[in-house]
Amino acid sequence: MNQELTFLIPLIIALPLAGFLITAAIGKHLGKRAHLIPVGAVVLSWLVAMVVVAAVLFDTGPAAGTRYGGGPPFTALATLWQWIPAHGFGGSPDFTVSIGFFVDSLTAVLLIVVTTIGMLVHVYSIGYMAHDAGYWRFFAYLNLFMVSMLVLVLADSWLVLFVAWELVGLSSYLLIGFWYRKNAAALASKKAFIVNRVGDVGFALGIMAIFLDTHTLNIRDSLQILGAGSIPTSGLGPAPFPIPIAIVALLVFAGAVGKSAQFPLHVWLPDAMEGPTPVSALIHAATMVNAGVYMVARANPIFAAAPEVMTVVAAIGIFTAILAASIAMTQTDIKRVLAYSTLSQLGYMFASLGVGAFTAAIFHLMTHGFFKGLLFLGSGSVIHAVHEEQDMRKMGGLRKKIPQTYRTMLIGAIAISGIPPLAGFFSKDEILGEAFKNGFYWVWAIGIVVAVMTAFYMFRLIGLTFWGKSRVDPAVEPKVHESPRVMTIPLWLLAIPSVILGAILSWPGPPLGPLFGQSGTGLLAGWLEPVFAGAQQMLGRTETTFQIFGIDGALLGASIAVAVMGVVAAWRLFGVELGPIRGAQRHDQVKALTARVPGLYRASLNKWWFDDLNHVLFIVIGGAIANGAAWFDRNIVDGIVNGIGSVTRRAGGDLARVQTGRVQNYALGIAIGLIVMAGSYLFIAGH
Amino acid sequence: MMSDDLTTYLVLSGALFAIGTFGFLARRNAISMLMSIELMLNAVNLSIVAFGAFIPGLQNRGAVIALMVMAVAAAEATVGLAIVIAIYRNRKTPLVDEYDAMRR
Repeated sequence: MNQELTFLIPLIIALPLAGFLITAAIGKHLGKRAHLIPVGAVVLSWLVAMVVVAAVLFDTGPAAGTRYGGGPPFTALATLWQWIPAHGFGGSPDFTVSIGFFVDSLTAVLLIVVTTIGMLVHVYSIGYMAHDAGYWRFFAYLNLFMVSMLVLVLADSWLVLFVAWELVGLSSYLLIGFWYRKNAAALASKKAFIVNRVGDVGFALGIMAIFLDTHTLNIRDSLQILGAGSIPTSGLGPAPFPIPIAIVALLVFAGAVGKSAQFPLHVWLPDAMEGPTPVSALIHAATMVNAGVYMVARANPIFAAAPEVMTVVAAIGIFTAILAASIAMTQTDIKRVLAYSTLSQLGYMFASLGVGAFTAAIFHLMTHGFFKGLLFLGSGSVIHAVHEEQDMRKMGGLRKKIPQTYRTMLIGAIAISGIPPLAGFFSKDEILGEAFKNGFYWVWAIGIVVAVMTAFYMFRLIGLTFWGKSRVDPAVEPKVHESPRVMTIPLWLLAIPSVILGAILSWPGPPLGPLFGQSGTGLLAGWLEPVFAGAQQMLGRTETTFQIFGIDGALLGASIAVAVMGVVAAWRLFGVELGPIRGAQRHDQVKALTARVPGLYRASLNKWWFDDLNHVLFIVIGGAIANGAAWFDRNIVDGIVNGIGSVTRRAGGDLARVQTGRVQNYALGIAIGLIVMAGSYLFIAGH
Repeated sequence: MMSDDLTTYLVLSGALFAIGTFGFLARRNAISMLMSIELMLNAVNLSIVAFGAFIPGLQNRGAVIALMVMAVAAAEATVGLAIVIAIYRNRKTPLVDEYDAMRR
């Protein structure tokens, strides 16, 4: 990257930070103009980020060397100051933590997702939150989130990353509980915060383990040392407590499990839908929940050095994918369907990381960010149209009434279902294909099933919401209206990448490939190649050319086939009104089908009883243990302490009687003492 | 009629001291207690003077110490009486067992 542009990197963060501080300070007095500063700040931040991203990405890959005449200039580091200047001396490790922001191609890709979707969600919120009393507060929180997320993506030190990791958790908490007078929202925000803490403990321990092993907190340095495969010495002799790299990987992964809501810490994300819909789109679909995926991808050398942990990652990912997909099939709340869909897609990403397909995971992260952001914002528009109703059983037939929302959401649904040539097809196919080619057949097999389910529940959502007869409350029915343009334009701007992004990023041949100096691999693979090359080499993966008439073609065909199967199944049950394709909704068939597998249906409807399990484990059993501990503390521990106190007090009270206050008594004591002393002296001297 | 036996003086001194001690312990009146203390001091003085007279090595120097004790006794009596009068003004009683403000 052109080094003169390095000063722009802190600016990406500084702009929303200024927006947050100004809005927090004076937003209350701005009333309905409160959005001007925060939205402006985010738009400017987006512009700056795009300059940086372009500078980094155009420099990356094989063409870069020829463009700037040698060297691989694909990174930039902006160090602001030394946060903790604890330089090691006399053989002790160097704990220095500097506030630095680092951009390479992986960061650049994340910057595209975060700033673009962040900007569009800000614009959309102008319309969505227009009538809310906490208008300025909402934008202040959103800007705070942008700051935290950008620091998270740009951090150059594990400690800075961890601080940002907690900050996104904080902004998520604030925004889920934005309507804090609503009890469910307050509870959901607490749930999200506490469940996240569980993973964060693991992450914090992981960072400590990394420091013990490598004697540095710098992300790149530590990864370079750990990626070398053996526990290092780093010039200070062997580390005092060498932590096995598999444990480091597991601990770091625990943090990702919490933040990205993977099994068993997935329970917070569906409840987080109590927050305003733009929040669900930005934080709980497109950006924050991707932090875990980004972090694992960033730490790829650690995971590549611990292949057994990668299998764990893949297993947890694909299990979350099928678990969440099975729940999404029966939920009736439109946002909850999307929330479980997000869980499921995040599961795909982790499965992809686990099988060593890091590029595919980031690819899916990117496309999913756009189409799931679109779907959430679309669902917000639907909810707005039917007057804050989220139950899909009270929707239906909205196609004609809110056509912009309908069209964009349909695009999103096709994209996530994996129908070519939309974005989701490319990324999902790449994940499944990589799983198969890397020998993880079970991941591939489950992934295929999840793909069917994904297509099914998405078109169930579309069918129940937009097609068939209207089941909207008759009182609301005449007032159903399309959202204002400030909301529909962001929808369209998200729909465009949902359509074309997949093809652009992965098309291997002309005309796009040569344009950026890539050959053979897609654009994204070319960008990310320097980041993942070491890990791929350690795992023994080699680039194979794409065989359309060989294994790749077959896998591709399978992906398309299952997607179509899911879509058609949904059409048969929940109807379809797509041009010439018509079908009625068959609610009796749905009922008959659910009656045939009542156990499965109930399990899905009740989210496999995970909330109940947690209730029993942590509220009932944990509560009983806590009560027992409290009893022990109150009676045994406090009893001992109070016992010592009361014995002392009683002894003092009894002994106080000796102090009569009468001079004669004291004098008698003196006299007796004197007589005893003198007597014993005489007695002893006499002998 | 002076006795030339040290023991006689010491017995007298011991008897006086015992009377003083008894008076100090038994009387409730502060003035009487002060008087008892004087009695004890004088008993001690008597024994000092007796030792001074009968022990050759002391060469009668015991009288000097007796003078010293008298000075201390005078000072003690002054201070003691002043205290007793001050308390009496305050508490309207000379009886020491009613001076119990610090116990309450």
